[in-house]
Amino acid sequence: MDTSSFGEFIRSYFLWRDPMIVGAVSGAICGFLGVYVVLRRIVFVGAMLSQVSSFGVALAFYLQGFSALSLFQSLIDPFALSLVMTGAAALFFALNRVFFRISQEGVIGFGYLLASGIVVIIADRITHEAHDIADILFGSAVVVDPKEVYIVPAVAIVAILIHWIFFKDFIFVSFDPETARLFKYPVRILNTVLLLTVGVVIAVTTRALGALPVFALAVLPPLTALFLTERLTLVFIFSIMIGILSAVFGYFFSFVLSLPTGASITTCASLFFLLGTGWQGIRRLV
Amino acid sequence: MDSSFLIKLEDVVIGYDKRGLLDSIDLSIQNGQFWGIVGPNGGGKTTLLKTILGLIPPVKGKVQYGKNHPLIFGYVPQRENFDHIFPISVAEFVAMGRYIRIPVGRGIKKEDWKVITECLEKVEIPDLRNRPFRSLSGGEKQRTLLAHSLAGEPDILILDEPTASMDIKGETAIMELIGKIKERDNLTVLMVSHFLNIVAKFADHVVMIDKDDEFFSSGTIEEVFSGETLSRVFGLNVTVEQVTDKIRIHAGARGSDKKT
Repeated sequence: MDTSSFGEFIRSYFLWRDPMIVGAVSGAICGFLGVYVVLRRIVFVGAMLSQVSSFGVALAFYLQGFSALSLFQSLIDPFALSLVMTGAAALFFALNRVFFRISQEGVIGFGYLLASGIVVIIADRITHEAHDIADILFGSAVVVDPKEVYIVPAVAIVAILIHWIFFKDFIFVSFDPETARLFKYPVRILNTVLLLTVGVVIAVTTRALGALPVFALAVLPPLTALFLTERLTLVFIFSIMIGILSAVFGYFFSFVLSLPTGASITTCASLFFLLGTGWQGIRRLV
Repeated sequence: MDSSFLIKLEDVVIGYDKRGLLDSIDLSIQNGQFWGIVGPNGGGKTTLLKTILGLIPPVKGKVQYGKNHPLIFGYVPQRENFDHIFPISVAEFVAMGRYIRIPVGRGIKKEDWKVITECLEKVEIPDLRNRPFRSLSGGEKQRTLLAHSLAGEPDILILDEPTASMDIKGETAIMELIGKIKERDNLTVLMVSHFLNIVAKFADHVVMIDKDDEFFSSGTIEEVFSGETLSRVFGLNVTVEQVTDKIRIHAGARGSDKKT
């Protein structure tokens, strides 16, 4: 990469402006919600939900191919279907203990494998949309749908607002559910709302960025932030910042080095994680 | 009707999933008393405690609460219950004990922080407030848990193994602190412990429970802690010695094939 490619990057801002905005907002909100995912030791719930979201999109593409369903075209919109499927998966995960009592890992594994298997089957059936499905899974799209420039920030604002109101309560039920139950806190409702916000955000950001980078942004920035500080509020702030930086640098390197965008974002988030481990190592030595 | 009790179990069957552990039990806890709950591992102590706390419903009967109802419980869980991945500071941890008085959706106010600071002072760790909870020693963690339980300004303090895995110095310090706070705030205390001598020294009443032996007994220390009942419940030759106004318990050789 030389100065001319950087200049070209700056001159082409109209090409990357929208994806960069969507990527940065996705990095911020995934970084924020990912702190809960990591602290509750359910990191693969991010993978499961992003995969279920991909399944919703793929299913919508598949159903759109049936002329008999043409009357319901608006209902089988990829975004709407992925949102419904991801919300349902988050709800199932939150309420599993009440109805089925399957282990958390069991539900995550089941959801991930079922969604992955069906996505592959659908991709095999609709070869003409296979490229779109690959984009959704791995986040190879350099451009984003103009609607997403509004949808992703709007969903992020709603999620932040909910978390602003219930911040202390979400932390309480995540850290000490037994005492929360003793204090008559609505533990089940709070857990469900928390997981639904995670599910909806993952559905929306997966549609924009792809499953792989969304999973990376929900896991690696919070893990990195935990290396950097011992204070909970700072973990959230650092995680948001690392999420934004991973997305922005990921887009930048994808643009100037012609790399697949999703993989570039994932790699940047991984590099931040490695820097975080290095920082922790230095602190321990000192 | 007797209205002086704080908590009363009358003809109550405790257990899980509609399966009773013991025949029906009776227990009446009065304001200001210090109760110990003892028994072998798996004997039903935690089930009894959770039933009293209202975390699990009784299989039969009803737990009655006195005129202070709803009671404010100050709960000191076991130190190992918390996941150390959470970077929670001591002050944040103690604040959670205040949440019983802070509704869902409302933040912590200035006056709440004042109570939290007072609780840290009561347990003599005001200088630890910004330290991460996970970095504390066992004794410091126990004091933090105690401050957490006091932050809700409770009517009754529930302690689950407060001296587990502590050395004799830490054990004495924490029990003396609990005794001091109990006297100063006129608290009712309910403590689950494996350490019979600690219970004999600090509590005035005791519940001894063993579901496998269908055994339940409650009363003053002198009434319940006899060599005969302790030997039966713990399967050891246990002797009880009176030392001034307290009793001391000595465990001897194994008496039968019972778990300990």
